[in-house]
Parts: sequence; C-alpha cells; structure tokens
Amino acid sequence: MNKIIRLALVLFAVSAIVAGVLGVVNALTAPVIDAQKQAKTAAAFASILEAERYDEIDFSNPDFPTVLTVHKAGDAGYVVTSKFSGAQGNITMAVGVDNDFKCTGISIIEHAETSGLGANAASTGDVGVNFREQFVGQDESIALSNNGGSIDALTGATITSRAITEAVATSIWAVESLG
Amino acid sequence: MNRKKQFTEGLVTNNPVLVQQIGMCATMAITTTLFNGVGMGLSVLIILTCCNVVISAIRKMIPGEIRLAIFVVVIAGFVTIVDMLLKAFVPALSEALGVFIPLIVVNCIIIGRAEAFCQKMPVKDSFFDGIFQGIGYTVVLIAMCVVRELLGAGRFGGGLIDVSNGFRFTLDGTGAGIQIFPESYGASIMSLPFGGFLTLGFLIAAMQYALKKSEEKKTKKAEQEKEAEK
Repeated sequence: MNKIIRLALVLFAVSAIVAGVLGVVNALTAPVIDAQKQAKTAAAFASILEAERYDEIDFSNPDFPTVLTVHKAGDAGYVVTSKFSGAQGNITMAVGVDNDFKCTGISIIEHAETSGLGANAASTGDVGVNFREQFVGQDESIALSNNGGSIDALTGATITSRAITEAVATSIWAVESLG
Repeated sequence: MNRKKQFTEGLVTNNPVLVQQIGMCATMAITTTLFNGVGMGLSVLIILTCCNVVISAIRKMIPGEIRLAIFVVVIAGFVTIVDMLLKAFVPALSEALGVFIPLIVVNCIIIGRAEAFCQKMPVKDSFFDGIFQGIGYTVVLIAMCVVRELLGAGRFGGGLIDVSNGFRFTLDGTGAGIQIFPESYGASIMSLPFGGFLTLGFLIAAMQYALKKSEEKKTKKAEQEKEAEK
C-alpha cells in the first residue's frame, strides 16, 4: 500500500513540475501567438477583398453553424470567416463575397491538414496559389470538377478540397441570407 | 564513454531511422520539402537532447514501475514547449509541420533512447547521445527530402532557399527553392506517402548493404591478421 502511495506521489510531483513549466511558457508565448493570429487575419482580409475598413456585423443564424464572423467590407461586399472540418482537423478560412454574391477570393487562416497534400491548399507556392485562384468569381453553385463543377481538387487531397469548396458555397449562402 | 564511437553510432551503425528503424511515421509523412525536413530534424534534436538530459538527471529517483509514465510526461512537456515556441516565433514552420510536432510525443526515438540509454547513463553521455542521435535523424530526413523533392517536384531546397534575387536562405519558409526541371514533369507519387515508403526502403537497403560490407571487411582483416600471426 505504501509503495502505491509513493509511486503516485512521485508521478504527481513530476507532472506538477512539468505543468508549472508549461504554464510559464504559455504565459510568455500566448500574447505573441495571439498577435500573430490577428495580424494574419487582417492580412487575409486585405488579400481577398480590399476595403478601407471591416465592420463586424451580428450574425447568428442557426442554419449556418460553421460561420464564425461576418464583416462588412465597406461597399465592396462581405468577408465571412468560417470554421469547418477538413481531412485532419478544423480549417479556419476567410472568404470574400462581393455584392453580386460572387467569391472574390479565399484565404486559409488556420488548418491541420497533411503536410505536402492537404496543406498545399494554404501554401504560398504555385500549387496553393493556383488552387485558391480557382475560387475567384465563383457563385453559390461552386463544385469540384468531378462533381460537375469547375474546381480542380488538389492531388491526393480530395477531402480537403471538397471541404473548402463546400465552405465557400456556405459562405456565399450566409451573405445571401443577410438579404 | 567514447564520443567518436557515439557519433558514428548515431549517424551510421545505430542510426535511429535506418538501423533501429524507429520514428518512421513522421519520417515518411513530412519529408516533402527540405524546409520541413530540416525543421522536423532540428525540433526532434532539441527535444531529444532536453529529454535525454532531464531523464538521465532524475534516473535514480524514478521508480522502475512508473518509469514509462514519467518519460511520457517529460517528453510531452518538452514537445508542448517547442510547439508553443515554434507557433510564436517560426509560424511558417509550425504550419508546415502541422500535426507532426505534437506527434513527436509518441515518436519512439525519444522514448526509445530514454528506455535504452538515458535511464542507465550519466547526464553528459545522455546529452551527447541526444545530439548525435538527433543529427542521425536529421541527416536521414534531409536525404529523403532531397530525393523526394527532386523526383516529385523537380526542385531542390523548397522553402529554405530562394534564388529569385540572388542566392539566399529563407528561414520563414517562403523560398521557392531551385527548380531543376518543371514541376509538372515530376513524378508526384514521390511526394505522396507511397514515395516516402519507397525512398525509405531504398535508403534502408543501401545502409544495410554498406554495414554488411564493412563488417565482412573487418572479419576478413581479422582473419588475415590471425593467419599472419601463425
């Protein structure tokens, strides 16, 4: 019995020390990570739909559970951010929608897709840029080419490509629902 | 302990990937660009060295029954620290490596070295073991990245080297690399996990061949010496 208590105490002590160290590192890095996320979101907005200011509008439609925020981008249209599941984890993406309900561009803010496959959707290389450019000018009927649409899926990443395509359609519908 | 022997062990005769054949999952998954390979290799090197030192330092206090649980706690702690630091200061790398940084927790190189080496050896030896095994891992990753990137995308040094305005290293992962032949001519299967299996298989085969050859040479030499003595 004593032995079990001793083992538990040792394990507890080690875990407590590690947890303490993690707490300190987290306190030091969390503000930097947050600032980076915000800067990234701002840059993402500017790259898909340029506007002088982005005003968040209240959007809480239960029909659109994946939509996080909707920003009115001046007179140019709207920027919708949504969080949906990709192939490996959640993808957070911003979609620009103009006043004719056409996509003006997409930008992936956060993802956990497979490196070299699904992650190409967010890459700054040719593969990623070409993939994302396909979405510009698409309307709500957007679909992958093997589903009768015009978006070519990324090699080896059909699930990621389909999730992104569906999320773009959802974002356009969300803007349409604003009326 | 002999440092030189430890070094050759980590790099060649007891290489974690090619000889011990541990930590293969991440090896096959992330080796698509040189940037990923170097980043993953160095992350593992740092985590492995830290874990080796700590585990070796507390080895006498760890009761044998719960040693694995304690190893995992220590390893998970260091991995989380490295993950947070990468997210804060090298976001491009943290994004490129995605889920594979958290997965270093279950990378058997680290728990393997803890179990096989650090729990019996003094801190100094464990420190060098971490560095040398880490270098061995990094070298294999780099070799795989170079082969797969070249055959798969016709490129060298993706993410790490930029040649558009003269040669420079891009540590934020934005460099396009040196295009050797057009990307569309590459066998994109080499960039897929299948290509990882293929490359790793050939590398392991080459390593085993080389090791066997050098062993044969050694035994031959020993025999010759014996005969000469007679």
